[in-house]
Amino acid sequence: MPLGASTSRQHTRPPARADALADLVLHDADGKDVRLGDLWSDRPVVLAWLRHYG
Amino acid sequence: MQLHRDRDTFEAAGVGLAVIGQGRPEHARDFIAANDVEGLRVLVDPARESYEAAGAKIATVNELLGPRVVAKGTASALRTGLFQTRTKGHPAQLGGVLIVAPDGSVPYAHLADDASDNASNDEVLRAARKAVRSA
Repeated sequence: MPLGASTSRQHTRPPARADALADLVLHDADGKDVRLGDLWSDRPVVLAWLRHYG
Repeated sequence: MQLHRDRDTFEAAGVGLAVIGQGRPEHARDFIAANDVEGLRVLVDPARESYEAAGAKIATVNELLGPRVVAKGTASALRTGLFQTRTKGHPAQLGGVLIVAPDGSVPYAHLADDASDNASNDEVLRAARKAVRSA
């Protein structure tokens, strides 16, 4: 399938809670580890997932 | 997705803002430089685990390149002056926005249904202010 596209229409699955995200560890722009759950430990956070960079 | 353009407004509202993209840290650094958003927390997720956990979807060809998507994307590009350049990562992976409260609840979600489907900054900001009042 071109572009790795799905052959059938998918549906988004917004979570009611972010538990599955909390323990994920991603790198920041400097290559340092960031645990996602630490981002909302003391205040709400807006998490924005880009389609892609560029 | 242009939330990073209003990052000062989000900060003033009392919410954090983090942007997650596919690719490697050097792509994040390029993004920061290209958008002049030094200090913004930009993360990379080459395995796309967080996309999966956030409930984002993989688009069909029509959801990427269908006439309605292209028309909307072209109109947006002309309005904002931002044009898509070469992509990094999975080209059919769509994104979205979640707001997460300190208790781990998700009071707001807008996950893209096609490549032209983006939450407006105003809508996200309203939801963010509401989340701050409720926290």
